[in-house]
Amino acid sequence: MTLAETQALFRQAITSPSPLPEERLEACFAGTPDLPAAERIGIYAGMYRSRLGDALRETFPKLLRFLGDERFAALAEDYLQRHPSEHHDVGQVGRRLAAFLRLYPDPDRPDLADLAELEWARQEVFFAPAAKPVGTEAFAGLDPAAFARTALVLSPALRILVLDHAVQPLWRRLEDGDPPGPPSPGASALAVWRSGFDVFHSPLPLDEAVALEGAASGDPLARICAAFSGRQDPAGAAHAALSSWLGEGWIVAVADRLPARADRKRAEPADVLPALDRMRLATG
Amino acid sequence: MPFPSLGHGIGLRTRHFASFLAERPPVDWVEAVTENFMAPGGRPIAVLEKVRREIPVVLHGVSLAIGSVDPIPERYLADLERLVRRIQPALVSDHLCWGTHRGHYLHDLLPLPYTEEALAHVVSRVQEVQDRIGRRLLLENPSSYVGFKDSTMVEWEFLAELSRRSGCGILLDVNNVYVSARNFGFDPLTYLDGIPADRVGYFHLAGHSDKGKYLLDTHDGAVPAAVWDLYRQALRRFGRVPTLVEWDDRIPPLEEVVAESRRAAAVEAEVLVAPRRLAS
Repeated sequence: MTLAETQALFRQAITSPSPLPEERLEACFAGTPDLPAAERIGIYAGMYRSRLGDALRETFPKLLRFLGDERFAALAEDYLQRHPSEHHDVGQVGRRLAAFLRLYPDPDRPDLADLAELEWARQEVFFAPAAKPVGTEAFAGLDPAAFARTALVLSPALRILVLDHAVQPLWRRLEDGDPPGPPSPGASALAVWRSGFDVFHSPLPLDEAVALEGAASGDPLARICAAFSGRQDPAGAAHAALSSWLGEGWIVAVADRLPARADRKRAEPADVLPALDRMRLATG
Repeated sequence: MPFPSLGHGIGLRTRHFASFLAERPPVDWVEAVTENFMAPGGRPIAVLEKVRREIPVVLHGVSLAIGSVDPIPERYLADLERLVRRIQPALVSDHLCWGTHRGHYLHDLLPLPYTEEALAHVVSRVQEVQDRIGRRLLLENPSSYVGFKDSTMVEWEFLAELSRRSGCGILLDVNNVYVSARNFGFDPLTYLDGIPADRVGYFHLAGHSDKGKYLLDTHDGAVPAAVWDLYRQALRRFGRVPTLVEWDDRIPPLEEVVAESRRAAAVEAEVLVAPRRLAS
């Protein structure tokens, strides 16, 4: 057998849900009378499942607590058959678990995909690069005329999740060891971020999540503030949101950036301009 | 170029981060599992940089998969190169094994058939990695549980020839020699005799579990007596070689791992220093 053929057979033998025929294994692998080749390959098959299962358990501790060992192991087996590891860091193997749970949801607990997404985001931000947050002085240095077109650079250790269920209460109950309670359907948003070496998550109003997603994709301040136009006091809401982003350390740079041509045609919504004024006053 | 004289070290594990920084334990160097520190941010890399400011660090990979027929992923090489530049390790090591297939990682140190085809393949891959990181790579003998009908040489012959042809160093895991010897029924001293002394950069010591029909390389306990005995033989064969104690599962408090490392230093002194004193 060539090296390539040997490795293909070895991989199939240790990842297959059921053992390969012994004669096929005996043709390639060498064993001894007391420990035949098929049993020896079985050692590797067991270690494969155990190692990847451990990585998933470590990344999704709340999902594990909810499902228990047996159901979690069955989920891991199904998941790994469809999504073998694609990254040299075994900790990345759970990257697609939330998507997998959306595709094959538990009919009684459709919120588990959202729980997995939250746990994955918590891991991602833990290992994200560090960046020094800016304070209000970053706004003070801006040319007032350029304020509306200023873009924000958000922390690489911040994720905004828009989910189909409110999973923060479920996460909390599992953290505290309480009964999980029923699913809470309805769109909800969460911010997940790292401060120092600690990871946090917190519910967000949906419009603030939209504003943050816009900021992450380079929207200028005028557009970011426009996300709050549905509020009774849009300017006050935008100002409060921007202030809290600064306070949490989510903004790591501000940049005077000309909006794209299409953006320039769009007028700044008049009702959010006062928020920009307030930021200028607060920081200038 | 000779290998650095590092002394006696331990594997740096997440569980010990806080105590390591607080206690500054009496170890000469640490070994860090490369892939655990490739993420650009977070606590692991911050801790490793702090430790590196005080003592030498060796980067020890588990996912290079030097023997896989898959191309070495560019992402992995780029991450490795970046980490080597950032940490400036005393040595860079990984395993003589394969572990990727068609873009997927099996996350295990899978054995290779010891054939001319495999040897030529691994030699070219070692050269690719060494060229990329600008350093000599050291490869560790794995613990094995299965052999191949196609093998035409034994592992120590393969490793010695690989080192000769590629210029790579050898990380000799004394526990792995013992585990594989028991699992395949060869004499571990024959293995040691087959390894060229000037190619060994450092030793690993660790624990294993007896599963009845075979030994499993579990790193979940103290170094067993039989491995200490083989370590003594290795010291007689290779002389003073930097030695590292690994403990990866059921990890005890830091001082217990450090005590194993100090014991390795004492064994080295007993084997290498005592005869000289007697002679004088």
